Amino acid sequence: MFFLRYLRCELRSRARQAVVIALGLALGVGLVVTVMAASSGVQQAQAGVVKGLYGVGTDVTVTKPPPPNPDHAGGIKITGGAGGVNACTVGGSCSSGAQTIDNLTSPANGPIGYSSVGKVSGLHEVTAAAGGLNLSDTQITIPADIGSGGGGSMPQPKSFTVTGVDLAHQQLGPLSNGTISSGRGFRAADASADDAVVDSNYATANRLKAGSTITIAKHAFTVIGIVTQPQGSNPPEVYIPLARAQALGTSAGKSLKNDVNTIYVTAASAADIPAVQHEVSALLPKATVTTPSSLAGEVSGSLSSTAKLAGDLGRWLSVLVLIAAFVVAALLTLAAISRRVREFGTLKALGWRSRRIIAQVIGESAAMGLLGAAVGIGLGFAGAAIIDAIAPSLSATLTSPTGQQMQTFGPSGAQTSSPTLAHTVAVPWHAPVSPGAIGLAVILAILGGLLAGTAGSWRIAQLRPADALTRVA
Amino acid sequence: MYTLKHVTKLYQKGRRAVPAVRDLSLVIEDGEWLAVQGRTGHGKSTLLNLLGGLDLPTEGSIELDGQDLAQLRDVQLGRLRAQSIGFIFQTFNLVQTLSAADNVEAALVPLGVGTAERRRRVALALESVGLADRARHLPSELSGGQQQRVAIARALVKEPRVLLADEPTGNLDEDTRNEIIKLLESLWMDRGLTMILVTHDSAVARRAQRIGVMTKGRFSIRQDTRRRITT
Repeated sequence: MFFLRYLRCELRSRARQAVVIALGLALGVGLVVTVMAASSGVQQAQAGVVKGLYGVGTDVTVTKPPPPNPDHAGGIKITGGAGGVNACTVGGSCSSGAQTIDNLTSPANGPIGYSSVGKVSGLHEVTAAAGGLNLSDTQITIPADIGSGGGGSMPQPKSFTVTGVDLAHQQLGPLSNGTISSGRGFRAADASADDAVVDSNYATANRLKAGSTITIAKHAFTVIGIVTQPQGSNPPEVYIPLARAQALGTSAGKSLKNDVNTIYVTAASAADIPAVQHEVSALLPKATVTTPSSLAGEVSGSLSSTAKLAGDLGRWLSVLVLIAAFVVAALLTLAAISRRVREFGTLKALGWRSRRIIAQVIGESAAMGLLGAAVGIGLGFAGAAIIDAIAPSLSATLTSPTGQQMQTFGPSGAQTSSPTLAHTVAVPWHAPVSPGAIGLAVILAILGGLLAGTAGSWRIAQLRPADALTRVA
Repeated sequence: MYTLKHVTKLYQKGRRAVPAVRDLSLVIEDGEWLAVQGRTGHGKSTLLNLLGGLDLPTEGSIELDGQDLAQLRDVQLGRLRAQSIGFIFQTFNLVQTLSAADNVEAALVPLGVGTAERRRRVALALESVGLADRARHLPSELSGGQQQRVAIARALVKEPRVLLADEPTGNLDEDTRNEIIKLLESLWMDRGLTMILVTHDSAVARRAQRIGVMTKGRFSIRQDTRRRITT
């Protein structure tokens, strides 16, 4: 076919220029593929972290904001000085002397009546719903001499997260994502027992094993099993039966008996998630209805920074390189066409239509675009491989308030603090190159080639054969 | 064949209109060989461009077989050139990246001739100019005379009725010039072409039936030997 023969001859004779154009496009395309792969890897890591929080199969979570608590009910007021230390629970009792305070509270979420779980599970597009209590156990050890004679500093609380698990629906919620690596999981008979399952990382850090004892809200719980969650997830540290969590937990100083603070919902299908969100919002107007993906925004740490970097800087860098590649390709094509004025004028004199000549030029540009796409995909895979090889593990941090408000009074005056809990997990970062990224790369490179060809075509369309031949003469 | 009536071609140079051809009226008959002479810049090439439909007159009309070229659209002019008019240029104007055969074949592309027929006609055309053994050579691998032969084959492969040649021997040495002119003359006679040849060379022009001269855009006939040849 003459078209292909002509195209091949032209590209071969201008091999150096064709390679420059193709490499320019390849660089842009390779960068786009790499950034997309990196971004995709970060998204997968984020999804993994969120999945660790809410478990497999949870499409929608329902929570309520904590109730207003201007008086800091349930908070602890510590006063020290010459008369000795005195700790008072706001709205409750006081005790003096050295002591340990141990509260199990719902710092981030307000209570939702347990009956709501049944109502949500009865919704049309809902397959299953389970309630849970995500709590924080905060322990403060107060020495006897705090504030006396200028000695003693503000005691630092120790906190860990505790989740009350609905034992009738263990397939939903964060525990569903893990594997029991030691001991056993919960059974229905454990509903009112002081039994706990502990996350493997927390167990290692605190030297806990099956059979150990852990104190929650001043109650001794027996560790019956160790659960291992997927790498990169950020699971709760201790799981206890929901009934025990309801019995021991408080929110703004009030008991959580017959309450949950999170409802995990599975929609009939991914397409039903918006409808489920809508229906739950109608059923519980004051509730916050979210999907796990939207919770990714709450993740901070290097994972979040990298996601932002990949999303913002990476995207714009790719766009800039692509634009530069397109401009270089267009300018080189225009320059080549200026050198071929005589050739095109002769072809017009032979009776070639402008359209045919333009098709020839665009064909050449598209071929360079295809070459650029092939090389660009290779560069993209190489970039992704480099990220896999040298990129450090990312960390994800989820911060949640403990709900504690502490005030200490002493010679140096009043000091107030609201401790928070920060959970940081290492997240492995892989950069997978998806078929979508490859498809986009091919489209972009061919588009770049076509843009360059179109710029040249404009020149050809303007070309009058007599002018071209006169110029030659 | 060609009927030119009061043809004027003006070029704009800034605000000034420069006449390249002035009020030219001429009839060129079928099968005639007309040589056009004149000094550089006096309108010879412009006249050839007008005859080939590569440019349009500012005033007047140019009819080819009763068709006014000025009234044809670009596409129609392109089709006319593809079918009926062959061009030969002083600088050969071969596509440097294509072989001799491909250069010749390029003239058949706009005619939509099938591949097999194209190959046959290309081979015949190259054979008729004595270059059958150079078909796969690039222009850079051919001498000036051989390149002009390829250009002649390209002009004639579509079997045109008109051959427009702009200084076809201008870039050739004397021996090669004679060779090319002999070739053109034999092709003109064999094929019954209408040939309009622009040349500075009086030795070449003298072989034509008529010699016209362009002086500052004005055309005049200096020699007419048509009757003598036909008798």
